[in-house]
Amino acid sequence: MILKKSWTLPTITIVCLSCVFGLYWAAASRKTFRLPTTTSPPKRIVSLAPNLTEILFALGLGENVVAVSNNCDWPAEAVSRKKVGTFWQPNTEAIIASKPDLVITLRFEQQKAVADTLNRLGYKVLTLKVEEIEELFTAIQKMGEAADCIERAEKLAGSIRKKTNDLQSKYGLANKVKTLWVVQVEPLRIAGRSTFVNEMLELAGGENAIGPTIGQYPQIGTEELLACGAEVIIQSAMGASNIDRQQQAAESFWSKFAALPAVKNNRIYVVNPDTALRLGPRLPEGIEIIARCLHPDTAMEKHNVALQTR
Amino acid sequence: MAEFLTPKNLVIKIVVCSAVLAVVMCLCALVGTQRISLENVLAGPGQGPGENTDYEIFVGVRIPRVILAALAGAALACAGVILQAILRNPLADPYILGISSGAGLGVIIAVLSGITWSFWAGSPITVFAFAGATLTVWLVWYIGHLAGKSQVTSLLLAGVVINAFFSAVIMFLTSILKSHQLRSTTLWLMGNITEKDPSVLWVSAVCILAGILGLFSICHRLNVLTFGQEEAKGLGVDPAKTRFAAFGLAAFITAIAVSLSGLIGFVGLIIPHAVRLVFGPDHRQLLPVSAIIGGAFLVIADTVARTIVAPAQLPVGVITAIAGGPFFLVLLAKYSRKVSWLK
Repeated sequence: MILKKSWTLPTITIVCLSCVFGLYWAAASRKTFRLPTTTSPPKRIVSLAPNLTEILFALGLGENVVAVSNNCDWPAEAVSRKKVGTFWQPNTEAIIASKPDLVITLRFEQQKAVADTLNRLGYKVLTLKVEEIEELFTAIQKMGEAADCIERAEKLAGSIRKKTNDLQSKYGLANKVKTLWVVQVEPLRIAGRSTFVNEMLELAGGENAIGPTIGQYPQIGTEELLACGAEVIIQSAMGASNIDRQQQAAESFWSKFAALPAVKNNRIYVVNPDTALRLGPRLPEGIEIIARCLHPDTAMEKHNVALQTR
Repeated sequence: MAEFLTPKNLVIKIVVCSAVLAVVMCLCALVGTQRISLENVLAGPGQGPGENTDYEIFVGVRIPRVILAALAGAALACAGVILQAILRNPLADPYILGISSGAGLGVIIAVLSGITWSFWAGSPITVFAFAGATLTVWLVWYIGHLAGKSQVTSLLLAGVVINAFFSAVIMFLTSILKSHQLRSTTLWLMGNITEKDPSVLWVSAVCILAGILGLFSICHRLNVLTFGQEEAKGLGVDPAKTRFAAFGLAAFITAIAVSLSGLIGFVGLIIPHAVRLVFGPDHRQLLPVSAIIGGAFLVIADTVARTIVAPAQLPVGVITAIAGGPFFLVLLAKYSRKVSWLK
């Protein structure tokens, strides 16, 4: 060894680092075992997803919501709440700084990492999976339990269920309309059968024009598209603004597939994704928007439908 | 080089760099989207959560994150030094032998299978990324060896081909992922530092530091190896053994770094070159200094990533590439006449 002496330095560094780490670890793990101090209903709630925020406000807990994600834009009051990062990358610091006594997150990797950190620090975190319509009702129930308002939760869940059932009996029994739900045009991506969009389509009396696929929102080719025989095309807008312009763009895009019944009969609708694609208390409104696109005769004229979808 | 590397000289350089790293870590821990006061932090934890948020943010969020960034940066920079040396290729970085795609494949399999168990407080993503990286490295090494004596070229080729193949598999799997899973994987593939459990941090810190120490102990052999295989043999250094040890350790620390923070590009490529340009090519100095500078660089990059678009955050890989590229070009323009590559 040429540089034997230099061994002492890394060794000392390692020992020092070990001490720092050890101390830090001990401090952190001591905190882990601390029990939540409050048992009263939460007064300061943080929500990390738009649909969870909507549920909280629908449960009448809006007053107690202190911070929301940047993507939470409904109801209007939610916009004025403190922002704690995006839905995809919540900011742990900002969440802690808003001193929550309940944090509600969705169950996927990014939010789970945040939930773990908060749990470790002793915060109360409720993690929910809301990917199917049935899970929405479970989520409302669990939020009601966590926020100590079970009765209101049951009432809310009941009213959403009733409205949904009413819509189903109004539109769901008619002839199934073959529908293509487009999430992106270049490349063409559509909602497959294992999505909640598909559930909404079926409740609104539609049928997915594309059969079972491997992916949830698969990319499809022109051949498949021309063979699917879609009678209606519903396209979710990119953002809630400029829907008129997006409608025109969609019509000109689809004009090259004139063989499709939907294009031939000019039944292309661009809908606002914030209303139609959010698994929250506005679910019945979403279903109704879809139903009006699918069954304009049962609802009203196409022109009005287009206005209503905005 | 102008001066001969003496132990004293080296120790002084390491101490100065470590001090810089310590200062950088402290400053970065005090910077964030929330304004916190040092006074409140020093007051210690309150009675319950929410009592002293400054302390919780500092100890529970920022310190683990700064430590993680420093560890990942040090590991990647060291692995870059080693791979550039043993492959004798200035374009080599820690990912050149397939670690990135192997770990990426592991992550996608973890996400796709929806496994939720955790192993020693490591999330499934961490565990699968580590397993994927290690298996890929083993495969590359094995195939590279099969091809015969001229190991370096066949190793590189095996690495590049396995990288391409696994990337294709990743593409296929991402096309069938659910949308929110896809987003998680994309963030991971761009390099994303988050807060980790202290025990995970602790274990990986020990592993990475041990790996760096191990590499440091064979640095003089790497110096000899850069003269060429035959010359190294003549000087009593077994090229095959040295290469195996260096490769194994570099792969090990890269796998840990990758499994903790995703694919952070650029650190492993530019930090070794930058240090070589400024301090010279002697590996006994290049390796420790690169480790420290790499750590400091990633700590700063992560601090920028978590504050610049506050309260949202950016993946740290974006910052390392945007900030590192021009910085490196400036260094290159300034120093390149003085040094020739990998002498």
